[in-house]
Amino acid sequence: MSDISLDPPPPHAARAPASERLLNAYVVAVLLFLALPIFIVVPLAFSDDVSLSFPPHGFSLRWFANIWARPEFASAFALSAAIAVFATALSLVAGTLAAVGLVRHQFPGRDSLVTFFMTPLIFPAIVLGAAVALMLAPMGLLRSFWGLALAHTVLTFPYVLRTAVATLSEIDRALGEAAYTLGANRWKTFRHVTLPLMRPGLLAGATFALIVSFDEFTVSMFLVGPGMMTLPLEMYNYAEFSLDPTIAAISTILLIITSVAILVIEKLVGLGKQFS
Amino acid sequence: MSGTGALAANAARAERPDEAPPRRVDFGRIVSLAALLGPAVLLLGVGLVWPFLMMARMSVLDRFPDPTGLTLEFFQTVLTDPYFLRIIGRTFSLAVVVTAITAVIGYPVAWFLARSRSRWKHLVFLGVISPLMVSIIVRSIGWTIILGNEGFINALLTALGIIDTPLRLMQSFWSVVAGMVHILIPFMVLSVASVLGKIDPAYAEAAKVMGANPVRTFLKVTLPLSVQGIASGSVIVFCLTVGAYVTPVMLGRGKVTVMAMTIHEQMVVLVDWPTGAAVAMVLTFGTLVVLTLYGLFLRRHARR
Repeated sequence: MSDISLDPPPPHAARAPASERLLNAYVVAVLLFLALPIFIVVPLAFSDDVSLSFPPHGFSLRWFANIWARPEFASAFALSAAIAVFATALSLVAGTLAAVGLVRHQFPGRDSLVTFFMTPLIFPAIVLGAAVALMLAPMGLLRSFWGLALAHTVLTFPYVLRTAVATLSEIDRALGEAAYTLGANRWKTFRHVTLPLMRPGLLAGATFALIVSFDEFTVSMFLVGPGMMTLPLEMYNYAEFSLDPTIAAISTILLIITSVAILVIEKLVGLGKQFS
Repeated sequence: MSGTGALAANAARAERPDEAPPRRVDFGRIVSLAALLGPAVLLLGVGLVWPFLMMARMSVLDRFPDPTGLTLEFFQTVLTDPYFLRIIGRTFSLAVVVTAITAVIGYPVAWFLARSRSRWKHLVFLGVISPLMVSIIVRSIGWTIILGNEGFINALLTALGIIDTPLRLMQSFWSVVAGMVHILIPFMVLSVASVLGKIDPAYAEAAKVMGANPVRTFLKVTLPLSVQGIASGSVIVFCLTVGAYVTPVMLGRGKVTVMAMTIHEQMVVLVDWPTGAAVAMVLTFGTLVVLTLYGLFLRRHARR
């Protein structure tokens, strides 16, 4: 999963227009498939029905009002946001440092270490959640901010590390050397030359980390409890008992928030270039 | 301090960018490496390795919470009881089916991203990755609305006069497949596209010049060259499917039990931690076997 070039590919003989049209139609179909379950939720948020049925009947904003009537959603949102910010910040520090170590130093076992750092991406989340719960239970940290924060940091770390390594590898070492030669010490060089150059990559990595943590369900499931709920779990619990459009309303709000976030990041750094 | 000596050293380093200066045990370098990599190693050590080892230990201890010795009793139960075997079989076949479908559906999209000169390419790319940013709960609820008895498909078919009574589309293996494929397609597309993007189109051109038709060119040249992308995409999709919880729960509605649900049930609902730990170990080792096979496969197909 390394970089995908968005630049025009090198010129080659044009395929028959018919097959190209077929491919384009196919891509549109897949995009519709990907978008359908997401956008089908939005009209239901404004429905007057008491159940999530399609097509929606009437128009009402009462499901949005219902979100406010239930303070547990607001507190779950706050907890999820706090955990996501904490995990992202910690991942940024550990990931940036590790990226410098991995890119700027050669040492035996480097490739194994990279593989090790990436394991949270493919490690079964359910096993991680259960294992962390098992470890924290005797310490009395099972239903605590810190338990959730630790598990989420483990999950978000690879996303930050991957973009940090990719960005740092592209930075010309000569720039740092120049600063060093001109009398800046290692820290000053890092602080004033390398770090600013890494900023777009770190920003993209942080965005993914925030989203991954905010949306995390399976691991958190083992670590939450009454009064300690993250938003996905609170939504799931609500949907278990009442499948009314309140969930569609929350989903719509979340969709707006993520869309804005994606657009801002896209404008700032270009997600296409950063996602690798 | 930064006289000619430092300049010369820097110049020498610039020439050989990957080699640190002199070859002797450099304690300063070891300390700085430890400081750079330490936090990450500590994080994964405390947050992943240590808890996993504790769980591995629990799965072979004979009693919980006060063990008196070692036993393989829990593994034996999990690996012989038809109840668990059916769940293990279902979980891994779900993963195989989902991986195969995402590869088939995703490959042409990856092709488009890697090869098309369309000006919509950037938008298609955003369209492919944006589902990754939407809450998994939202997406699962979306599928509930599409497949439900009062859902989109049934409403559509009824309105068209094709059916009278709603079809039961939920609570089935295939509804879970649909949800999982939807969630995991972006991973497959990105893996394949990154490999396809690196293949020089000249290879395909050469085959064409030599007289191969487009189908033959694809099967004999492009597809084998992109196998690495399919393989790495498959690993991600496979691993994420065997460990999935939310989608099977929300779309299977109690009818499609997978290992993740069993682990949660054993540990949280039945408070039978050792059996849960044994199921978790079987899941992890099953995944590990797949990863090893993938490593062997890649070595055989290594291009260098």
